[in-house]
Parts: sequence; C-alpha cells; structure tokens
Amino acid sequence: MENKYVEMDLNEEINSDKTENRFLEFWKLFRRKKPALYSLYFILLLLVLVVAGQYITPFDHSEPNYSNILSSPSWPHVFGTDEYGRDVLSRVIAGTKIALTVSISAVLIGAIAGTILGLVSGFFGKWIDKAIMRFCDILFAFPDLILAIGIVAILGPGLQNVIIAIAFFSVPSFARIVRSSTLEVKELLFVESAKSMGASKRRIVFKHIFPETIPVIIVYFTMNVGTAILSAASLSFLGLGAELSSPDWGAMLSMGRDYIGTSFHIVFFPGLMIFLTVLAFNILGDGLRDVLDPKTRD
Amino acid sequence: MKKSLWMLVMLLMTLALVLAACNSNEGNGETEENSNEGNNVESDADGESSDSITVAIEQDFISLDPHDVGDTVSIFGTRSMYEGLVGFDKNMEIQPVLAEDYEVNENSTEFTFKLRENVTFHDGEPFNAEAVKANFERIMNEELRSNRNLQYLENIEILGDYEIKFTLSQPFSAMLNKFAMILMASPEAFSNNPDDFALNPVGTGAFKFQEWKQGDSMVVAKNEDYWGDLGTNVQQVTFRPVPENGSRVAMLQTGEADFIYPVPHNNVEELESDENIVIEETPSTIARYVSINTKKEPFDDVKVRQAMNHAVDQEAFLAVVKSGYGEPLSSTMSSKTQHYAEQELYEANIEKAKELMAEAGYEDGFSAEIWGNTASETNTGMQFVQQQLAQIGIDLEVRSMEEATLSDSIYTPETAEETDLQMWYVSWSPSSGDADGATRSLFHNEFSPPEGANTAYYDNQQVSDWIDEANQTGDVEEQKEIYAQIQETVYSEAPWIFLGSDTILSGYSSSLEGVYVLPDGSVSIRNANLK
Repeated sequence: MENKYVEMDLNEEINSDKTENRFLEFWKLFRRKKPALYSLYFILLLLVLVVAGQYITPFDHSEPNYSNILSSPSWPHVFGTDEYGRDVLSRVIAGTKIALTVSISAVLIGAIAGTILGLVSGFFGKWIDKAIMRFCDILFAFPDLILAIGIVAILGPGLQNVIIAIAFFSVPSFARIVRSSTLEVKELLFVESAKSMGASKRRIVFKHIFPETIPVIIVYFTMNVGTAILSAASLSFLGLGAELSSPDWGAMLSMGRDYIGTSFHIVFFPGLMIFLTVLAFNILGDGLRDVLDPKTRD
Repeated sequence: MKKSLWMLVMLLMTLALVLAACNSNEGNGETEENSNEGNNVESDADGESSDSITVAIEQDFISLDPHDVGDTVSIFGTRSMYEGLVGFDKNMEIQPVLAEDYEVNENSTEFTFKLRENVTFHDGEPFNAEAVKANFERIMNEELRSNRNLQYLENIEILGDYEIKFTLSQPFSAMLNKFAMILMASPEAFSNNPDDFALNPVGTGAFKFQEWKQGDSMVVAKNEDYWGDLGTNVQQVTFRPVPENGSRVAMLQTGEADFIYPVPHNNVEELESDENIVIEETPSTIARYVSINTKKEPFDDVKVRQAMNHAVDQEAFLAVVKSGYGEPLSSTMSSKTQHYAEQELYEANIEKAKELMAEAGYEDGFSAEIWGNTASETNTGMQFVQQQLAQIGIDLEVRSMEEATLSDSIYTPETAEETDLQMWYVSWSPSSGDADGATRSLFHNEFSPPEGANTAYYDNQQVSDWIDEANQTGDVEEQKEIYAQIQETVYSEAPWIFLGSDTILSGYSSSLEGVYVLPDGSVSIRNANLK
C-alpha cells in the first residue's frame, strides 16, 4: 500500500516537472515572436478593461447629455460624444466586455462540442466518423455569417442567440482539426502501449489522446475568437444581435452610420476597436501556431 | 528575412480584414434594402434613356390601390398615376382636375361636378359619369379605406354623360377636400381583375404604371395620351424605397437619385455646400408622436400618460432626432393645419412626472414595448424616448419592424383587447389638408383600428360628438371654435406623447425642377422637368 503512494507521488512530480518545462520552452520560443507578443499584451489590456472597465470609464456609458451632442474628440470627451451626447470612449470600453464575453463564450462552447465530436470521430472511426464528418461538411457548405443569420432568424434576435449561432458554426472546424490530430496520435506508441495494458477507451481518449490535441485547439481557439468578434459585430450591425441602445461595437456602428458624413468619430472608434481586436487575435493565433504546432505552418 | 515575412503576413491579414469588413457591409446593405436586383434595374433604366429620373424615398408603398391606402407614401404613390375630380396645388388649395367645374349648394349638402370630356384611362377606357359612379360605389360597397372620406355620402346621381351630382346626408364643409382624396381608376381594371388591381394601377394621370417590384422600385412612365397639358419632359420616374439615410444621401451625391425625400437633417450642411444639389425646406402638417394604447394598463390612467409627456423634453427631441429642424408639437396637429389652436406645452419636468407616476401608483415604474418601423430616424427617435422615460422608471423595449409587418400587427386585431400594441412611434399628416383629416381618424372612438388610425384607442364620447358636430356645420367660425375645444381636451388627456412637428427637407439635383414635397409630406412628380 505505502509503496504505491510513493510511486504516485513520484509520478506527479515528473509530470509537473514536464509541464513546467514545456511551458518554459513554449515561452522561450513565443517571446521571440514580437508581433504575437504585442498582440498578447493588447488582449491582456482588453481583459483588464473587461474586468475593471466600469471603474475606470470617465463617464457613464448610457448617460445622455443632450446639450453636448456629436461633439468632436476633445477633452474631456477624448473620443467625442455620440448623437445622444454619450461619451464614446466610455461606450467603447463598455463594449469590450460585450465583445469579449460574447465571442469567447461562443467559441468556447463551439470548441468543447467540436473537440468531443472530433475525438469521437477520430478515435472510433467507421460509421460514427462518417456521420460526424458529413454533418460537418454540411455546415461547412454554408458561409458562416449566412448560417448565423439563419439561426438568429429562427431563434430571434439577442446576444444569447448570437452566442448560440456563432458556437454552432465554430463546431465543424474544431471537429475536423481535432479529428485529424486524433488520427495521428492514435497510431503513436504510447497509445498502443496504453491499449495493450488494458486501459479503457474513455481513459485512452481523454487521458492520452486529448492532451496531445490541446496545442492545436489553443491555436484554433485564438483565431476563431477573432472571427467571432467580427461575426457578432456584424449581427449587431444588422439589428440581430445586441440591442441598438447598448454599447456593443456593432450596434454603435449601426446607430452611428447616419452621421458618418458629419461626425466621423462616432463610427471610427468602435470600428477601430473591432479592427484592432480581431487583428490582435489573429496575429496571436498565428504566433501560437508557429510555436505550438510547427507542422501546420505554411 | 523573417521580419519581412511577418510584415507580409500582417499586410495580408489587414487586407483580408478590410475585405471581410467590406463584404459584410455590402451584405448588410442588401438585406436591409433588397437592393440586389435594384441595381440592375437602375443601370438598365439609365442605359435606356437619360430623361428618366429616380426619386428615393424612405419607405416602400404598402399598396397602390388608390381606394385602399392610408399612409402618406402610398397616397402619393397612387397620386403619381391617378387623378381625382379635384386635387391640391402646391399650397394644398383645391383645384379642379378631372372635373372642369363644380358647384356646391349653400349648406354644403349638394356637390355637382361637370366632368372633363375626352379623357381616357391608361387602358383606353373612357372617363365619364358612369366611371365616376363606379369608383365611388366600389369604395362604399367594399368598405375600403377611402370610405372614411365618404361617411355622409347618401346619393350619387348621374345627370348626363359628363355631369354628376353627390348628395350628402348632412352639411359637411370639408367634403371638397375629401373629394380630392378620391382618385379615379378605370372601372374595367378593378372589376375585371379585383385581386391584382392593387399591383396594376390604371388611372388617368400624366404618368402611367410600368412596374412595381415590392421593396425595390416602382416605375411610372410618361402618358403620351394625357388629356391635358403634360407639363413634364421626363419619360420615366422610378421611385426607390431607401430606408437608409446614408444611402439616400449618397444616391443624391452620386447622381443615382435625382430627388430624395426626406433629406436627413444632419446632412443638410454637407449637401448645401454642393453646388449641384438644392435643399428645400417646407413647413409641414406632419405631427410626430408616440401613440399610447389608452385601453391597456397602465396607460389607461391619464396621469401615467401625462407623466410620460412631462418626462419627454420636446426641445431635446428636436435637437437630437431632428438636428434642430422642426418645432415642438403644441397641439394635436401641426401649426400649419387648418383650425390649429395652440396649447400650452407639457413642461419638461422630471419631478412633476415622477409625482404623477406616484399618484397613479407607479412610483416604481413599469416595463413596456414601443413599436416603430426600421427607418434609421425612427430608431434614433425610439431610443430617445426610451432614455427619457427611463428617467421616471419606465423600462421601454424598442422593437423595429418592417413597415408591412408593423401595419399588419396594428391594423389586423379587431379590438383594443386583442391588440399587442402598447406604444407606437409614428407621425400623421392630414393628406386632405383639413382639420377633420387631422382629427377624426385619430381621436374619434369609431376609428380605432382596423377602421381607422386611432391607435391610441382614445375614447371620449364628448370629443367624438364634437368631431361629428364640426363636420355638420357650414360655419367656419363655429368649426374653429369646436376644433379648439377638441384640441384642448385631447391635448390635456394625452393619448400621445407629443414630440414635434417636422420641417420637410427635400433635396434634388440642380438640373431638376418641378418635383416638390407638399406640406403633408407627399411627393409630387406631376411637373417634373429636366433642364
């Protein structure tokens, strides 16, 4: 009995050592990718805004001031004010929270569902694989945004349904990518050995194969968040997502587009934020791919 | 090497993003305007002839059946092809049109029209007293929307091929304005093909119907066989519904449209600096308001409705939604309407509003829905009302709907109990230009939907009686007095949130003349001329 405990402890130590090494190795490589590193800093800054945004915004983002409408960027309204006299900077900051929560939660749901499907599909093969992959092919046949519009049209407008729609169209790409790495890992020696030692299928899939697919998932996750932000903003712009009165970036573009000729700033800043955020997630995703998944490069 | 590769990747990604953004923007335009095919039609039309014009308007026509339209846009759409016995000129004065002459007896009960000879409908059918009678009978027998103009019509008598007499059951001085609202269609067209008639108009006007792609364009062409002086050198006019303010302005700037209405007020300055574009301001009879369903809780309490009016600042409304163009709505009708009587405005006073809410038992407020169409300005306006009412604890949900869906949701339910309507952000302009048109259909208790536009379901027997009384008297002074009473009562009982009355802003290319907007917000193309 006692012996066994010691053995397990030893095992854990080796494991944690291994992960630490892995992380350090990753960081050493990643640090050299300057654009990706700066993108990471930018995204961390956005996360700070999500958490602390409401405490540091200069004004209440929903407080109208009809005596100061459409004023150009100047002090104290650094990004100017919108058609109701609301501070654009505060709204952009408040919008960060909406954009990131919507996109990250949508992609997370999609990633979980897609990963499970991919693992099952890759590991079990045969008709399950075929069924799942044909289902993915069907979803791939639709352009993402059209599919999302369709889903929202059925479910009704609102952020919650936007999350569902984006999650839905993220599923197949995760399923496919996880499946292909499962197929690869499945043939490796350590899986063979686990199998021959009589490990259960569930254990093999989740304990041995799944961890090997994590790097790929991380890369895809990061890149999909960028697309998800763009899709969520597009849906809101169309009036299918966030309520138009909310400080969602897409909704701000939608409400502000009438003033584009006269008050450029009320669409410029939310637009710029969408641009920078999506760009940051894409560059970060690229950087991660270079480090974590060098095979898929080029 | 590595660095330049990165730069390349970044550049590509930026490009991809910009492209993606452009794509989705284009996509947006298409879904909102269905302009996909429209563009083709447009270029075809341009290719065919240079003497055609495009008029971009905010909404599509709901129907083109001249006897069954209620909204301003559909009314001016039908007026582009149809004519009445009498009509309005630019100042909304009555002019004879298909009638050469008319006579009214002393107490306004008998109207005799001498009709123009040698007039034919667009399908070649002759216009005569028989045809006139058939038109009026269609409206009355089928109880179409125009029937509300013919409430007192008792008898139609054909005196000769080109002479016809209408007898009313009681004196009604505004009847001549109502005759101007009844447009003459070819009896052949509506009796042969009753189902498709709304889609295939056949009138007598200077322009005849060409095609109507709903949601996209309505095209009319010059009627070479017109009975009178054509007064236009334009071959073809295309009406294009463009709900997007920005797109409408861009269309005028690029020459894709020759006339746009309305011009968004925030673009006036920009457009005025363009020497090829003329901006015209017209004071209007358009009243802008939110109708409140007075039969539904909590709106059945007059104090709640008054509180809502005190919460909404009309000056701020004009500044935010109208860029300062327009004036506060100081009565139930605009100051340009007949028999207008100025009322004291609801003072913007949150404290007072909160007090009224508390007195009504709603100190904690309540939630409600406000409906409106999808036009950008409506959205801005509804959000403004949302913000203002939030100050007194009313939590409004804004719902934008396509015009036809909206119209269905409002005019289909038979009773106040059945309808889901709580608040409607809308405007009204009396197309017949008279006080009756600005009152009866809105506040008479027999004119709740589906019969009329009393979407507040306002029901005050006294007011209904007054409205009837005003119709019956031939004496203008007496009418004025009655309408003053009506306005005072209704304004104080607040079946609406009063928002403002519009200044009409239209814009056209400097090579065009003769297209104009009447004070009721209808576009006249009758005298369109290209220089």
